[in-house]
Amino acid sequence: MKLYEKTAAELSEMLRNKECSALEILNDVNDRINDVEGKVGAYVTLNEKAAESARAVDEAIARGEELHPLAGIPIGIKDNISTKGLRTTCSSRMLENYVPPFNATVIDKVNDAGMVITGKMNMDEFAMGSSTETSYIHLTHNPHNLECVPGGSSGGSAAAVAAGEAIVTLGSDTGGSIRQPAALCGVVGMKPTYGSVSRYGLVAFASSLDQIGSFGKSVKDVAMVQSAICGYDKMDATSAYVENTDYAANLRDSVRGLKIGVPAEYFGDGIDDDAKGSVYSAIKALEANGAEIRKISLPSTEFAINTYYIIASAEASSNLARFDGVKYGYRAKDYDGLTDMYEKTRSEGFGDEVKRRIMLGTFVLSSGFYDAYYKKAKLVQRKISNEFSQAFKECDVIATPTVPASAFKIGENIGDPLKMYYSDVCTVTVNIAGLPAISLPCGKSKDGMPFGLQFIGSKFAEQTILDAAYGYEKICGGFDSLAKNL
Amino acid sequence: MSIDIKHIAKLSRLRIEDEKLAKFEKDMENIVAMVDRLPDIEDELTLDPSDAMPLREDKAVPNKFTRDELIANAPEVQAGCLVVPKTVE
Repeated sequence: MKLYEKTAAELSEMLRNKECSALEILNDVNDRINDVEGKVGAYVTLNEKAAESARAVDEAIARGEELHPLAGIPIGIKDNISTKGLRTTCSSRMLENYVPPFNATVIDKVNDAGMVITGKMNMDEFAMGSSTETSYIHLTHNPHNLECVPGGSSGGSAAAVAAGEAIVTLGSDTGGSIRQPAALCGVVGMKPTYGSVSRYGLVAFASSLDQIGSFGKSVKDVAMVQSAICGYDKMDATSAYVENTDYAANLRDSVRGLKIGVPAEYFGDGIDDDAKGSVYSAIKALEANGAEIRKISLPSTEFAINTYYIIASAEASSNLARFDGVKYGYRAKDYDGLTDMYEKTRSEGFGDEVKRRIMLGTFVLSSGFYDAYYKKAKLVQRKISNEFSQAFKECDVIATPTVPASAFKIGENIGDPLKMYYSDVCTVTVNIAGLPAISLPCGKSKDGMPFGLQFIGSKFAEQTILDAAYGYEKICGGFDSLAKNL
Repeated sequence: MSIDIKHIAKLSRLRIEDEKLAKFEKDMENIVAMVDRLPDIEDELTLDPSDAMPLREDKAVPNKFTRDELIANAPEVQAGCLVVPKTVE
């Protein structure tokens, strides 16, 4: 077995037992990148200083220093998370040559842990999309079938883990951008509670919904990364104090007595029969292992996509106003005065999907429409949150499909925004309510493409959803996340 | 509802090429028709008291960046200043 095929937890153990060095792990991952990156296209930029970080870990081991459990583990970073001295493009022409002068708080934490940053991962432009096809840089292909999308917006992060091009990765999730690609690429992906991971240095899309989280081949890996990146940060005004965050050490592998809510609204007509079937089988297996299944109802789910696109686009139109060609980023070449410079810069720097979202946001906030759209959506947001709070009085976690169908073909939905938006139908409610959720591999389609099982928890119940996920992983006998025949 | 894309684009400091206008207009009308379907809830927006945002102390802290670091990404710089088109006649 090659080193790149192993989990972070396994590699951490091997490093401690001196069965391999951090540099050997990195070299093995780099060899894998050389072999398959031409087919997958998960990276935007490779980190040329990765070997330096790996050597530093090996020297610390030689000196007998106490190491963080994730020291020496290669990690890929979504390209909307600021890395000092390492290009951060958001997969946009607007930031094609932008090199941040500072680190996001999560990057400081990743560095403090001694993790080795392999590079920056491809994504939908400014995280707006569900297939990574809106990237200005290049396409990313699903490692399980290169003709299919990896999902999005964190498509590069999900594809890299499934292809063995990184051991774990960071992504961001505004409406499903971690969980949906995790499901479509057959890996584990977690979106933490809003406020549990600092957003300082994450290029903002919709600030009240954005959250950084992680991808891995196992639940334990995702738990380890979450422990490393969470925590209060005074640089993020929405950051929260969280206690008992040693999630990996506290993992419980039995689902006995776990109360699982199953909401009928997530198993409707729009969800592929096989995707539903896989999740129903998983729920049966959980029940057979001692979990208690409760039927619950979340009636406002049908308004979730509408609510999400109003709130997210409104915030995006405001957040992306900063890209004006003055302080950093792209500036058009020929212009006649200030307004012309703004308009040309933004029209040439942004792709069509970003323009669509900025204009939708501008429209719903514009004079005469605010009450009809934005205010209404904010009221529905509260209703959706309240329904979740009610549901969590009856159950510990909620189980749903992560995606309405398995990965679609590249080019299949890119011309139809509404079809693309629908791919987030099972995930947006979680962001609207600020909850934590995790997606796990759960069966495959007739064509061999992965489906996802989503566990949703109440606010700050990361341990509960990780326990449920770990229990499910044990029932499955582990996940088979790595793509074969790549 | 018909959407005046040119007007919305102007408010957004964007310009849509003529050959793309029709597609943008149609897509936007479809999207607005989708998001239009929301229930009426008779209530007022309030802040969630459980989500109190603790504010940082209002205190000056040393700047951790040099001027050169901050302007390194600027599209056009002269004598350590950002260059912009003339804004006042």
